[in-house]
Amino acid sequence: MDAPNASDDFIPAGLAAYGIEADEIELAVIGAAHQTFWPPILELLQLDTSQVPVERNPDLSQAPPSR
Amino acid sequence: MSEPLDLSLREQAAAIAGGEVDAGELLQACLAGIEERNPALNAVVETFPERSREMLAAAPRGPLHGVPVVIKDEWPLPWRAQRFGAAEMLAQTAPGESGPYRALRDAGAVVVGVGNMHELGASSTGNISVYGPARNPWNAERCPGGSSSGPAAAVAARLVAGAVGADGVGSIRYPAAYCGLTGLKPTFGRAAMAGHHMAGISTTIVSGALCADAADCRLLDSVLFGEELRAGTPEGLRIGIVRSEVSEDVAPAVGGACEGAIEELRRESGGTVREIELPELAAATLATVLIANSESLGGVSVERLNHLDPELSPIGRGLLKYRVLLPAIATIKAEQVRTLARRTLARVFEEVDVIAWPTVPAVAPPLEAPLVELPSGALTADEANVRGGALANLTGIPAISVPVGSSEGLPIGLQLQAAWGQDELLLDAAEALERANGRRWVEALPPAARGAETLEA
Repeated sequence: MDAPNASDDFIPAGLAAYGIEADEIELAVIGAAHQTFWPPILELLQLDTSQVPVERNPDLSQAPPSR
Repeated sequence: MSEPLDLSLREQAAAIAGGEVDAGELLQACLAGIEERNPALNAVVETFPERSREMLAAAPRGPLHGVPVVIKDEWPLPWRAQRFGAAEMLAQTAPGESGPYRALRDAGAVVVGVGNMHELGASSTGNISVYGPARNPWNAERCPGGSSSGPAAAVAARLVAGAVGADGVGSIRYPAAYCGLTGLKPTFGRAAMAGHHMAGISTTIVSGALCADAADCRLLDSVLFGEELRAGTPEGLRIGIVRSEVSEDVAPAVGGACEGAIEELRRESGGTVREIELPELAAATLATVLIANSESLGGVSVERLNHLDPELSPIGRGLLKYRVLLPAIATIKAEQVRTLARRTLARVFEEVDVIAWPTVPAVAPPLEAPLVELPSGALTADEANVRGGALANLTGIPAISVPVGSSEGLPIGLQLQAAWGQDELLLDAAEALERANGRRWVEALPPAARGAETLEA
């Protein structure tokens, strides 16, 4: 038997929490996007960035001031 | 002399300035060319001959005096609000003078039409638009690239010699590669951006030129930058390459053409090639998408999302709704990845002058099913393309796509990236590549252009 797909719950529950309606085709699109984005998002969340300060309002026209 | 429409952007400007070409006749010929050849391409979604004639009548004797150009449907004009390729935008728009429009007007250029684009700027393919998709001049059944699909198709078909696009996640470079053009994504903040509905909000979007070759890009980008981008000859160019999926999980023909071009560039400049490490490259792709998505959420409300225009594509509607579900913590992590990637690049650019890899891993896919076949398997073109396109937008560095070959009768593009503010170096390197290959690829014309010859590998 296939393992339950987390997105089966996440997507309808998430949309419902915001009160966002979606038809069947939109749900299929959202499901496909979720399959693409969610695994790398989970990987990103595993990244230990505790020592990485976020550049506040970085000047993207230049190299960062300190390396 | 060739037909004026067949001249390059700089040749058109010089011929008008020298009195060899009448700007009014050029405008008329350009409009006639669009009327005759655009229906097969859908590159230009609107012309406004009276407005164009008024622009010409008032045009100052600037560097583009009398030269017709196309501008992407991402920028407002005084007589037309942008539609962003969509039936509905979440941002407020109105007719007005955008930065690129002002720059063009003040340079004496004539805006002759609006270029098609992918709906909401949300894809690298250009296969969805409220106007119907633009088509690739090399093969009308293939994607022109996105999101600046119409500007690229218009220049590739020689409807105009130059067009202004925008690049938030590769949107100038992908269509440049698919259509066989040169396209520069400037350093963040260097090119005109005022009037864009995301100006002051987006940290990834820039305006930039799409032209047949680097010298034309230099001219049009000089106008968009508001400063002359001086030409130089790169000597001893230090070229960095990355051994990762951006250079290795690519179609063999693309990989071969790009490796050959890198070697040509090395030889032409008397330079070196060395491997470099970019540990954040894979994470940078997702980080860019997350940041770009979060920045576009300002106009979102549940009410708007529940009453989207039914003419928006189902993909557009679904993606707009999915954005709301993306967790804030992921965006914070994405900002940290940006910090790390910028630090890494700052170190890398002490050791190399440019970083090179294929702009896109495969040639333009079919419009009907934009999938690409890579060594790792079949992927959507968007998933594959963003791997190599996102880093420059995330970090702010400039990047250029240069045509370097062909496969299946479709162009192949090499991407070069440089340190912040080194836009001129990228143009110099692109011109060095053109010299090295005898301008073979920048002078190749697609079947949809007059006098076209088949592109042979």
